[in-house]
Order: sequence, then structure tokens, then C-alpha cells
Amino acid sequence: MSDMRTPLNKVRGLGSAKDGTGHFWRIRLTSIALIPLSLFLLGWILSVGGASYGEVRAALAQPLIALAASLFILISLDHMRLGMQIIIEDYIHGEGAKVTLLMLNIFFAVAVGAASVFSILKIAFGG
Amino acid sequence: MVELTLPKNSKIRMGKTWPKPEGATNLREYRIYRWSPDDGENPCLDTYFVDLDDCGPMVLDALLWIKNKVDPTLTLRRSCREGICGSCAMNIDGGNTLACTKGMDDISGAVKVYPLPHMPVVKDLVPDLTVPYAQLTSIDPFLKTVSPEPAKEWPQSYEDRQKLDGLYECILCFCCQTSCPSYWWNGERYLGPAVLLQAYRWLIDSRDEAAGERLDNLEDPFRLYRCHTIMNCTQACPKGLNPAKAIAEIKKMMVERRV
Amino acid sequence: MSHSPATRPHARPLSPHLTVYRWPATMLMSILHRITGGALYFGTLLVAWWLIAAATSENAFNLANQVLGSWVGLIVLVGYTWAMMLHMLGGVRHLIWDTGTGLEKDTSTQLAWATLAGSIVLTVLIWAGYLWLGA
Repeated sequence: MSDMRTPLNKVRGLGSAKDGTGHFWRIRLTSIALIPLSLFLLGWILSVGGASYGEVRAALAQPLIALAASLFILISLDHMRLGMQIIIEDYIHGEGAKVTLLMLNIFFAVAVGAASVFSILKIAFGG
Repeated sequence: MVELTLPKNSKIRMGKTWPKPEGATNLREYRIYRWSPDDGENPCLDTYFVDLDDCGPMVLDALLWIKNKVDPTLTLRRSCREGICGSCAMNIDGGNTLACTKGMDDISGAVKVYPLPHMPVVKDLVPDLTVPYAQLTSIDPFLKTVSPEPAKEWPQSYEDRQKLDGLYECILCFCCQTSCPSYWWNGERYLGPAVLLQAYRWLIDSRDEAAGERLDNLEDPFRLYRCHTIMNCTQACPKGLNPAKAIAEIKKMMVERRV
Repeated sequence: MSHSPATRPHARPLSPHLTVYRWPATMLMSILHRITGGALYFGTLLVAWWLIAAATSENAFNLANQVLGSWVGLIVLVGYTWAMMLHMLGGVRHLIWDTGTGLEKDTSTQLAWATLAGSIVLTVLIWAGYLWLGA
């Protein structure tokens, strides 16, 4: 089938999505939040490196650590899924594959987030 | 999946090596992309030797020397030979630039010349620019007003006119447009650096009354936000302009109007 | 060969791109930012595994620590640290750019090299600090 649409027709396509700034803003917002959170947790991990099971659990049960770790997980997963969405949109052009991967991307983030936060809460509330 | 390699009909063959000019002692090697629509063959790289004692200093001088003295079938666009028409934009020594303002002394080794990257080739060094031109059309590159037209002209303050500096000089050679990997992978939907620089030129024109409508038209995950600040555009621009900065300013406007 | 003027003789080839383009520092750092982002994406599985192990039992936790403490595990962790530092510094660079500054040809190139150098320095410092604290 030959495509006889004009070049302008193809460029205009289905029009502007009137969207994109929300994504742009959110990925920046989460990135700023992640700088102090990740540095704090990095310091913590350095201090408990090689610590025993009991020591790590006791540390994770402290409210400040549990809160920072949970926030870090949730915010970095949000940041990650936003970033991976751009990568998928950039490289995957087949409609079916693209939509499937965009969905899996969200499922992955939610599943990893739920499992991690549940683990932290379980330790924090004495599981 | 986006194609990171060239399609089958675009893979580059070894081409022919043209004889060295007789009696010349000061030679420069050129490897030039060739493709003809007439024979059904894949593109190839031909090797030429340019007599520098008989040729000007620019890459365009050498290409025209080859066309005049060695191989009249070599096809390229050129016009002004002084960096103002934008016709002779091509990929030289791995970067997009104008053949007429690129001195061959700046290049070490054999000079490799290809058409602007990731474009359909019409012949040899001539790319098909239909899509970028249509993209330019799509952003309405002209003054849009609603107010009754003044008797003489639309006045503009000195300061507001200065905001167009660094933008109005764009000659639409599309060196930046075709240097951008994001444009390579999503050129049908991403407007690209050259067109977005033009869009910004009209967005900040103090006489234009359609900024909101223009931003609406750009607010799209693909049209604008495929820019990932790879910066090839700014690195490539032969006029020293900064498309990446223009795009950053558009993104700032997008945020500004919603916070 | 003969053909009527109205038909296009042969499909137009696509001009070469990735293979002929000379990479500026900014392009290299851009793709590294993306690759490290992708690595960190899957790296969260390690974090999740370690947390789940800590919440499950002492045996599971010790196993996780053993694997992460092996030399393969340590290489992965050093790589993870480097990816995190590079992606964080690259993110700061993006935030600077978002204000409309640092986008000039020279400045952006300097920022690109600074990101790479900074990520290596920070990774070395972090692991030196870890070994010093652990010793």
C-alpha cells in the first residue's frame, strides 16, 4: 500500500498530546529528593557493612532508618519507572511490544516496592 | 525495536579508487559516500586524491575540484560558498558541518565525507530534507497576531529585539537536526533541534501573540521531550548557535506556565 | 535499465549515522547516564532481595551476605556504587542545564568530563571509607 499522505500530514500526525511537562517535572522532583536520601542511606550501609543479622534488624527497626529506607525505595522506584518509560518510548516502536513493556515497567516498580517496603515494615514492627 | 544498524539496501560497499592526478606532489585523500538511484547497487565509499596545489583550502573547494577534474557525476548541493545558504551541510570527518566553511587543515588523515546522517539519500551527498521542512512548517514559523495591525509596523523595543540574537541567524542547514541521536531514532515524532530553535525564536518574539497556542502545540512527550540534552546539536552548529539552550528555555516556559 | 519517469527507480538508502559520527564527550556521558540508569533499575532487585532476606530468617540473611561478600558480589557492588554516583552526578548536571545554564559548547564538555571524573573519585572514596571503617 503506498502512502500518499503529505509530509505535513505525517508530521502533524494525531496532534499534540498536551502532556509531557508533568513527566519532566516529576522526574526532576524525585531526583532532587533522592540526592539526600541516597547519601544518607549510603552512609548507613557503610556503617553496618558486615554487621550481623541481629544488628542489621535492630538498625532497620529504628524509625529514622526505616522511614528513610522506605522513602528511598518508593521514590527511587517512581524515578526509575519514569526513566525506563523514556527508554522504552525511545527504542521500542512496535505498538504491541511498546504497550506491553510500558505496563511491565509499572508492574515491576510496584512489585519491587511492595516487597521491599513490606520487609522493612515487618522488621520495624517486630516481625 | 528501533534499527541501530543500517537497513540492507544502505550498507556501504567498498568503492573504487580513482587515479591520482598526474604530476601532483601535494595530495590529499578523500573518501566520499556515493549512491546513484539509477543502478540498484548499494552505496559505496569512493577514494579520490585532490591536488592541493590546484585547489582552495575548504572541503567544498576539494569536492568541486573532484567534480570538475576527476568525476563529474559526484553530486552535492552548494550555493553561496560562504556559510550563509546552508546548502552544503554534510557529515565531514565525523561531524556535521558546512563544507564551505570547514578547512581541510582542521582534519587529520583522509577526509571522510558522508551525507547528513540518518536521512534518505537522493543521490551521493544529497539528503532528502522533506520531513524537516514539513516539521518547520508545522510550528508556524511566522508572526501570529490578533490585535489590529498598526498603521506602520509592529514596534519592538531594543531589549526585546536583542532576545532574537543567536536565533535569527539560523540558516536551516539541519546540521544540528541530523546530529541528534534522539532525532535518528524518533525523527517522525520528535521535532528536532533546528525546528525547536525556530519554535523558540517565535515564542520569545515580543510582537507575537500566540505563545500559548505555540506551547500547546509543542507540549508532547515526543515533539519536545525527546530532547535528552545529548548536546550534539550545539556541538555541531556551524553558525555557533545553541539549539540545546533554546530547547531548555522552551522547557522552562512549559513549567513556568503551570506553577 | 529503463523505467518510466513517474516511478522511483530504487528505494533510497538511509545515510550512515552511529557508525560514522564522532562522539562528543556529552554524547558519551548521555548514553552512560542511560546505561547506568538501566543498571540501577535492575539493581533494585538486589536491594529488595537483601531486605526480604533480612525480614525472612537469619539463614536467608547470611546467604545474601555471603553472596554479596564474595568477589563476584563485591565487583557487582562496586559497579553498583559507580553507577549510582555517575547517575547522581549526571542528574545534578541535568538540573543545572534545566535552569538554562552550562549549555555552552565548552562548558557542557567540561561538565561531561567532570561527571565522569567525579563518579570515579566518589566510588574510590566510598570503598576506601568502607574498608577503613571495616578494618
